Amino acid sequence: MSTVLIPETASAAATMRRNFWLGVWRVMKRKPSRLAGVIIIAGFAFMGAFGPMFYPDQLPDDSNAITQAPSWAHWFGTDPQGRDVLALVITGSRYVLLSAAVTAVITVVFGTTLGLFSGFKRGRWDSVLMRITDMKLTIPGLPLLLVLAMVWKFGSPIQMGLVLGLLGWGGVARAVRAQTLSLRERGFIEAARGLGLSTRHIIGKELLPSMAPYIAMNMLIAVTGAVYAQVGLFFLGVLPYEANNWGVMLNLAVFQAGAMITPNALGYLLGPLLAILLLTLGIVLVVDAMDEIFNPRLREE
Amino acid sequence: MITGTGITKTFKQRGNMLGKREVPALRGVDFAITKGGSASFIGESGCGKTTLGRIIAGLETYDAGEIAIDGTPMSPLKVKQRQPHFRKIQMIHQDPYSALNPTRTIYQTLQAPLALRAGQTGRPEGWIDERAAEVLSLVGLDPGTVLSRYPHQLSGGMRQRVVIARALTVDPEMLVADEAVSMIDVSLRLGILALLKDLRERLGVSVLFITHDVATARYIGGDSELYVIYRGQVVERGPVDTIIADPVHPYTQSLLSAIPVLHGLERPGEEPVVPLESLAEDQSDSGCLFAPRCPFRGDGCTDERPLLQVTDGVPQEHACYYPRRRSVIARPMSEV
Amino acid sequence: MADQAPGVRIDGLTVVYKTPAGELPAVRGISLTLEPGTITGIVGESGSGKSTLALSLLNAVQPPGRIAAGSVEIDGLGDVVGLAGEQLRKARGAHIGYVFQAAQNSLNPLKTVGKQLLDLGRSHGVEDLPGLVREARELLGRMGLDGARVLDSHQHELSGGMRQRVGIMLALVLNAHLVVLDEPTTALDMITQANILKIVREVHAERGLTTLVITHDIGVVAEVADRLAVMYGGRLVEQGPTREVLGAPRHPYTRGLIKAIPRLVGDIDEARALPGRPPTLATVPKEGCVFRERCPQRMDVCDTVDPSVVADGARVVACHAVTVKEHAS
Repeated sequence: MSTVLIPETASAAATMRRNFWLGVWRVMKRKPSRLAGVIIIAGFAFMGAFGPMFYPDQLPDDSNAITQAPSWAHWFGTDPQGRDVLALVITGSRYVLLSAAVTAVITVVFGTTLGLFSGFKRGRWDSVLMRITDMKLTIPGLPLLLVLAMVWKFGSPIQMGLVLGLLGWGGVARAVRAQTLSLRERGFIEAARGLGLSTRHIIGKELLPSMAPYIAMNMLIAVTGAVYAQVGLFFLGVLPYEANNWGVMLNLAVFQAGAMITPNALGYLLGPLLAILLLTLGIVLVVDAMDEIFNPRLREE
Repeated sequence: MITGTGITKTFKQRGNMLGKREVPALRGVDFAITKGGSASFIGESGCGKTTLGRIIAGLETYDAGEIAIDGTPMSPLKVKQRQPHFRKIQMIHQDPYSALNPTRTIYQTLQAPLALRAGQTGRPEGWIDERAAEVLSLVGLDPGTVLSRYPHQLSGGMRQRVVIARALTVDPEMLVADEAVSMIDVSLRLGILALLKDLRERLGVSVLFITHDVATARYIGGDSELYVIYRGQVVERGPVDTIIADPVHPYTQSLLSAIPVLHGLERPGEEPVVPLESLAEDQSDSGCLFAPRCPFRGDGCTDERPLLQVTDGVPQEHACYYPRRRSVIARPMSEV
Repeated sequence: MADQAPGVRIDGLTVVYKTPAGELPAVRGISLTLEPGTITGIVGESGSGKSTLALSLLNAVQPPGRIAAGSVEIDGLGDVVGLAGEQLRKARGAHIGYVFQAAQNSLNPLKTVGKQLLDLGRSHGVEDLPGLVREARELLGRMGLDGARVLDSHQHELSGGMRQRVGIMLALVLNAHLVVLDEPTTALDMITQANILKIVREVHAERGLTTLVITHDIGVVAEVADRLAVMYGGRLVEQGPTREVLGAPRHPYTRGLIKAIPRLVGDIDEARALPGRPPTLATVPKEGCVFRERCPQRMDVCDTVDPSVVADGARVVACHAVTVKEHAS
C-alpha cells in the first residue's frame, strides 16, 4: 500500500472536470436528437450574438419587391417595405434571445435561492417566504404586463427580461423548495450536518448538485416561456415597436401584410414562427439529456 | 463518556379534530456508555431505539431528562455550543445507499470534513489527502482504487465502509450504528460488524449498536451492555452474553425465541415464548407495558408499571414482577 | 383448475438481460424440481438471480430480460415459457399465487383491501364475488386477523405484518396451489417474522400447496423449507433436503454463508464474513466456476471449467473440489 495514488487537490479537480465533460459528450452521443438539439441552440446563440453584425443597421429595402413570396433571392420572401424576411429574423433575434436569457437567469437564480433557503431553513422563514410566493403566484401575469406596458416601453431587452423574470420565479421557487424538503431528509445531508459542515457547504456542494438537472431543465423551459410571452406581447401590439423583433414581425405580417389573406405574405409570417418553433424544438431535445448529464451513474453507462 | 438520565420524548401526531395525538417514544430512559465501551439497543421497530440513537447523536431533541457528554450537560447549551460536543458522536445510517451523495466522489465526500478539521487544527494542506487515504485503510478499503470512485460504483458493503471512514474523519469518540448491516449482503455483514469491533479495540472508539437482531449485538463485543427496549422503556439491561444466556423478561425471551432456528445444525430451545398478538389500538399505558402481550402476566401487572431494578438471584436489571429464566434460544446440535 | 398441489420442473433455464455489453445471463442453466406439496427455499445474495428465477415461474421476466433457453413445466399448465397473453394472465393468480417482494408496500394506498380484492376477482372473471369475499375473510381469520375489519382498511391502517398477511391472502384467494413468496419477511421485525413463517407453514399444509420461498436469509429457509437450493452468480450451486444441507453443507459457498450468520451461541471468532463481494451481472465470470474468486478451495480447473451439477441421492452440488474429493475416497 506504499504506492497509494493520492490525487493532488488541483490536478484531481482538473481530472474531474475533464471526466465530467467526457461524460457529457457520451450522454449527448447516445441519441442523435440531443446533438441536433445542441446544434440548434448553439446556432441560435450564435445568431443572437453575431447575426446582426452581418447586416447594416438599416436593412436595405427595395420598393420594387414588397411582400414577395419566398424565392431564391429571398428565402422567406420580403416584407411590405421590401426587406428580406430572413435578415429581419436574424437581426430581430437579438432582442428576443437576450431578454429570454435574462428572464431564464433571473427566474432560476431567484427561484432556486428562495426555494433552497426556504426549504432548508423551514420554520418561520419558510412560512413567510412561501406566503409571499403564493401571493406572487396569484398575480395574473398577462394583465399586469398589459398595465406595465402602458407606462413602460420595454425599449431594451434587459428591461423586458427583468420584468418577465420577476414575474416568473414563483413556480421554480415552489418546486425547488419541495425538492429541498425531500433531499434534506436524505442520509447524506444529515451526515453532513452531523459532521459539522457549514450550511454553505451543505447547500452549495451537497444539495445544489443533486438538483442540477432539475434547475437546468427549468432554466431551459423558462427560455421558451419568455420567448412566447414577449412575442405574444408584441404580437398583440401592446408594446410600441422600438426595435425589430419576432413579435413585431408576426404582428406586421398579420395586420399589415395580411398574411391571412395574401399568400405572398406567408413567408413573412412563417419566418419568425419557424424560428420560434425551431428554438423550442432544440430546447426540448436537450432537456431530455439533463438527467443523465448530472447523474454520475447515468452519465457513465 | 456519554450518559443519559430520564430521557423522555413524545411525538405529536396530527390526530382528529379534537387535537393532537401524543405518542410516547421514550419514557425516561437511563443509559451510560463509557469511553471505548459499547452498548446495544434492541427492540422491535417503533420501540424508540432509533429515536434514542438519534438523540444521542444530536440529530433529535428530547423533551425531558438530560444528556451529558464527558460530564457536560447538553440542555443548558445553545444549539451552536452543543455542536462540537455532538460532533464526537457520529451516526452510521442503516441505508448506505442514501448516506452518500451520489454526485460526489469518495474523495470529495471525505475531503469536506477533513478540510474543516485541518482548518480547526492548523494542519498543512497535504494532510487532508494523507488522512483521507488513512481512514479508508482503517476501514479496510484500498484508497488507490476507491478515492476517485462515485458511490454507485461500490457495493453496499464498501459503501457502508466509506460511511464509517467518513465518520472517522472527525476523530469521533463514539459511533452510533443504526441497523448498520441490515441492508448489506448476508455474506458481508460480519465483515462490517468485525470492523466496528476492530475500530473499538484499535482506536478506542465506543460503539452504540442499534438493532432488532440480538445475535448481531454479540459481535460488537461480549462485554457490550445490552438494553432491551419495549415501547420506549428499557425492560432488561445487562452484559449481552448474560442476557442471551439467561434472559428473564418475557419480552426479551420472545425476541430470542423468534430468531430462526437452523434446523439440522441447531435444536430449538425447550420453552420458546410467543407473545400474544398485539392490537395496536388497545395498548394501555397503565401498568406493565408488555402485560397485554405477555403470556405470563399475573396479579398486579396491569396496575403499576414495574421499574428497572435488580432482584435476588438475577444478575441483570429487569422490569418484570415475575422474572424467570427460560430456555428459549436454539443451541447447536454438537452441544447437546 | 387442478385442486392438488402441482409439481414444477425447471429444466436448463437460462434468462439473459440485454445490456450495453451484450446479453448477460442472470440465471444460467438451472434445473430444479419442486415436488408437489413441498416447500422449497431458494437462498441467494443480491445478484444471485433468485428473483429472476422466481419471475420465470410466471413467465414474467420483464424486458430487457428474456428467457433464452430451457423450460418450466407446471402440472396442469404445461410449459409456461410457451404461454402468452390471456392464457398467461389467467394462469397467474388462478394457478400461481405470487407474493411480491415488499408486499407490505404493494397495496394501493387509495383503495381499501376489500376493493382491491374485488378488482382482483373481476379481472379474473370470478362470478361469485360474495364467495370470494367470504374466502378472503376466512383466510385472514386463519392468519389471526379480523377479516371484516382488514377488508375495510386502507394500507396505512395496517402494520407491516398485517400487510404481509394481506399479500399472502391475495395470492391464495383465487385458489392457487402453487405459491411463490419473494422475500416474505424482509423489513419485518423478528417476532412478526416468526409469526409470518408459522402462518406460511400452516397455510401450506392446510391448503395443500406447493410453495417456493425466495430469500437472502438462510434462517428463513431453515424455518420453513423442506428443500433448500443455494444460488450464486446465476447458478444453482447446491441443493438438497434443508436439514442435510445445513447440517453438512458441501459447496464452499454454502459453508461460507452458514458461517457468516451471526448466531446466539458458539464461538464468535469462528463466524466470519466471506471475502470479496457477490458478483453483479457484469462481473460474473464468463467461464469457469462463478464462485472461485471468493473460494478457499480454488483449484486450477476452477478458472476454466464450469463445474457440472452432480447428484448424489437427494443432494446436488456443483463444485470441482467436492467432485475431486469424492473420486479420491
